[in-house]
Amino acid sequence: MTSPRERILASIRGGLLRSHLPADGNGPPGRDAGSAAPALREMAEQFSAALAALAGHVHRASGAAGVADVIAGIARDQQAATCISWDDEHLGCPGLLDALSSRGLTRVAYAVSGDPERRLAEAAALAGVGLGVTGAHAALADTGGIVLVSGPGRGRLVSVLPPVHVAVVEERRLRPSLAALLREEPGLLDSGSNVVIVAGPSRTADIEMTLTHGVHGPKHVHVILTA
Amino acid sequence: MTEPALAFHRRIDAALADARLRRALALTTGRLAGGRAAAFDALADAEACRHEARRARASAIASLDSHLDRFAREATARGCTVHWAETAADARQIISGIARERGIRLAVKSKSMATEEVELNEALEHAGVRVVETDLGEFVVQLGGDRPSHIITPIIHRSRQDVAALFQEKLGAAPADVADIPAMTALARRVLRAEFLQAGMGISGVNLAVAETGSICIVTNEGNGRLTTTLPRVHVALLGLERIVPTAADLAAVLTVLARSATGQASPVYTNVMTGPRRPGAAPGGQQAGDPDGPDELHIVILDNGRSRLLGTPLAEILYCVRCGACLNVCPVYRLIGGHAYGGVYPGPVGSVVMPGLHGAEDWSELAHASSLCGACRDVCPVKIDLPHLLLAVRRDAAARRLAPVWIRAAMPIYAAVATRPWLYRLAGRAAARLARALQHEGWIRRLPGPLAAWTASRDFPAPASRPFVAEHHARKAAAR
Amino acid sequence: MMPRPARVQLFATCLVDQFFPSAGHAAVEVLERCGVEVLVPADQTCCGQPAFNGGFAEEAAAMARVTIDALSRSDDPVVVPSGSCADMIVNHYPELLEGDAAYGPKAKELAARTYEFCQFLVDVLGVDLPAAPPGPALAYHASCHGLRGLGLRDQPRRLLRAVTGGRCADLPDAETCCGFGGLFAVKMGPLSGAMLDAKLEAIDRSGADVVVATDVSCLMHIGGGLHRRASRVRTRHIAEVLAGQGHD
Repeated sequence: MTSPRERILASIRGGLLRSHLPADGNGPPGRDAGSAAPALREMAEQFSAALAALAGHVHRASGAAGVADVIAGIARDQQAATCISWDDEHLGCPGLLDALSSRGLTRVAYAVSGDPERRLAEAAALAGVGLGVTGAHAALADTGGIVLVSGPGRGRLVSVLPPVHVAVVEERRLRPSLAALLREEPGLLDSGSNVVIVAGPSRTADIEMTLTHGVHGPKHVHVILTA
Repeated sequence: MTEPALAFHRRIDAALADARLRRALALTTGRLAGGRAAAFDALADAEACRHEARRARASAIASLDSHLDRFAREATARGCTVHWAETAADARQIISGIARERGIRLAVKSKSMATEEVELNEALEHAGVRVVETDLGEFVVQLGGDRPSHIITPIIHRSRQDVAALFQEKLGAAPADVADIPAMTALARRVLRAEFLQAGMGISGVNLAVAETGSICIVTNEGNGRLTTTLPRVHVALLGLERIVPTAADLAAVLTVLARSATGQASPVYTNVMTGPRRPGAAPGGQQAGDPDGPDELHIVILDNGRSRLLGTPLAEILYCVRCGACLNVCPVYRLIGGHAYGGVYPGPVGSVVMPGLHGAEDWSELAHASSLCGACRDVCPVKIDLPHLLLAVRRDAAARRLAPVWIRAAMPIYAAVATRPWLYRLAGRAAARLARALQHEGWIRRLPGPLAAWTASRDFPAPASRPFVAEHHARKAAAR
Repeated sequence: MMPRPARVQLFATCLVDQFFPSAGHAAVEVLERCGVEVLVPADQTCCGQPAFNGGFAEEAAAMARVTIDALSRSDDPVVVPSGSCADMIVNHYPELLEGDAAYGPKAKELAARTYEFCQFLVDVLGVDLPAAPPGPALAYHASCHGLRGLGLRDQPRRLLRAVTGGRCADLPDAETCCGFGGLFAVKMGPLSGAMLDAKLEAIDRSGADVVVATDVSCLMHIGGGLHRRASRVRTRHIAEVLAGQGHD
């Protein structure tokens, strides 16, 4: 008695034996993997331009106070009094949460349990939260995307539920592209149950090709590049 | 013609008569194709990118059994439950079973053509599960009870007024909620956020699986992919068995061309890679916390449904497809008739190969004839599939099964017999010219007989020349000597 | 680039032979003016593309063998005043006859020395054609098989520019299929007609008096549509324009 797995694999093997796959001719050489990485400033400019083109915002700041000032400003513009966030140690900016708190932005405990019954109540508690603050594992210059890896103290939904997402990224975590990042860190995908690249705010053009932001994810994305 | 072929022709006629659809198609496909062209122009090494993406997909398919097997092992090792579905019915049964066993009453879905292919929603509803589509376009499709008309942008066939009416009728929306597109989007966000929060199961497709780590990658622009695969306790991902690449580097190679080909974006908004369900903390009493969110269970259902059979046929190359929709956007036929006319889950050039390949030549090979073989599709395919070559393979298979119309089946041997005998060819040419003299007026024929009348329905036909070129050329040369 | 051939064989194609002989005569004239002797094998018929495109590989292969025979009594290069028929010989004959021990190699050999007309003039002869006297406004339609199958992008446009100066411009959406597609025009008549409508609308927008293309197949379809609508716009094969026959 064979299993579905065995039958499917056997069917594949049988097909491959009768193979009609094209014998590919020589194409142009692959993308240049060996070129030296561009300078940090060049990547920062490329990243900023790419993210701005996606209606995202890029800021420069340094130190907990500097970064907290930027975030507090965003919160004021959005009339947001509360935020959820990753734990301080994952924000790449020691002392940031304290600095935010002293500027009047209250961090709400982030909990979304697996039980659907309780979840609605928890979500209601989070409904008024205006900001989600995360760090980032890397920033990708070619697309304006930031790489978030989930784990303890780094909830996935912090960057999805609130209407505004603020990500603090150290400039030295800029990389030219996803391909370059993976060459440097081949084990990246295994480092968390979820690795997500976020490039700008949530969007759709499903209705009459009219672009709208803030569908299911955040309507505003701010990336703060720190020195 | 067979009944399915006749039905296809009727749908084409209906689509051609729909001027509003035509305008909507022109707008959408023009935008998407233009976006694609601009995005590839902006790449310094566009051809190398396509080549790399093709190489990644070709290497996966060339050893598909070993990559798939590795994927399953790696995914299982990281806490996934892997299921193997030979048929659409198996997939429906497996997923309904998962829902039933856990008493799930509500499932949220992110966009998945594979789930449309296996008709999953109806099966789940029968199992007592309410299913809610969360991609905005698919949400509208679901409310309207029809089908998506494009792989990437499902509701080209719907105007904003259509959507407003649907929202009012089905969601009880107030006029202010549907006053404009931002308002409708905001309403959908509110309605669907509640569904996300209450759902016991999230169902998704998979854009690409990565064999070396058992990871699955799902891309969206809206963020519904993230919520679907994070909030509910149970995540079920339906994976077409060909949608795989060997390594993370291969994933990057395909991602480089995927969104650029689909919409012209350099990257999707959300490129979501999941490797196993949420990671639990250390043993109770330990200090190490686990993931604060994410599903407790990640089920991956590997779907065959005819894909493995394609490997041994001339259509095998279609398995490289990454469902970007670029071929639809440049196809002069798709741009005229839209997705519904094709009658199946996959429309356009790719659909014209996939539908007969997966679901039978008898019912679907006529799709491959709705093409002038212009080749625009081949030019834009991110993995350089030779679509015209595959369309011809479908046609050859159909001809061998005697599915061609009677008059063509009769005419072909006659045409070949004439054209392989130069003397008979010349004779036939003179006879046709004589015959045409009666029909023609000032060098043109207004009405051709029989099936050829389809030509003269919309244009005149030139009368054959009284002095064919080859004969005349030799006559002039002889006269000159 | 191969050495400049002294002699070529013209594969006129069945549509030129039977419907548009003037295109064939013009092609011969242009080639002779470029100092090339032109042979026209008397036993040429049809390349078999309609059968091939219909999925009738055996019938297509039979016609391919006859065509190969007609063009292989001499090993002179073959020039074809049709992108789609040249594409058939160059790109499809080898695969069509792959399993044929005798004709497989012959197909490859023929494919290697077959050229579309403009491709031959520009890529092989490297000619500079002289400018023609002033004439009507021309619009160029890029026939699909030559364009995408043979990479025939620059050559026709270069030749037209040289001969007509600024008088010839691309049609709007020049590279969009006209909807001929061989049997497609009859089998999928309404679709073909709708694609033709779009092409005729583009011609209207262009304001041109004459539509030029490398393939008479496209031109008979476009011309048939123009004539049905009593349009004053004419069609011309590119050989006729290059021979200075762009106006009546």
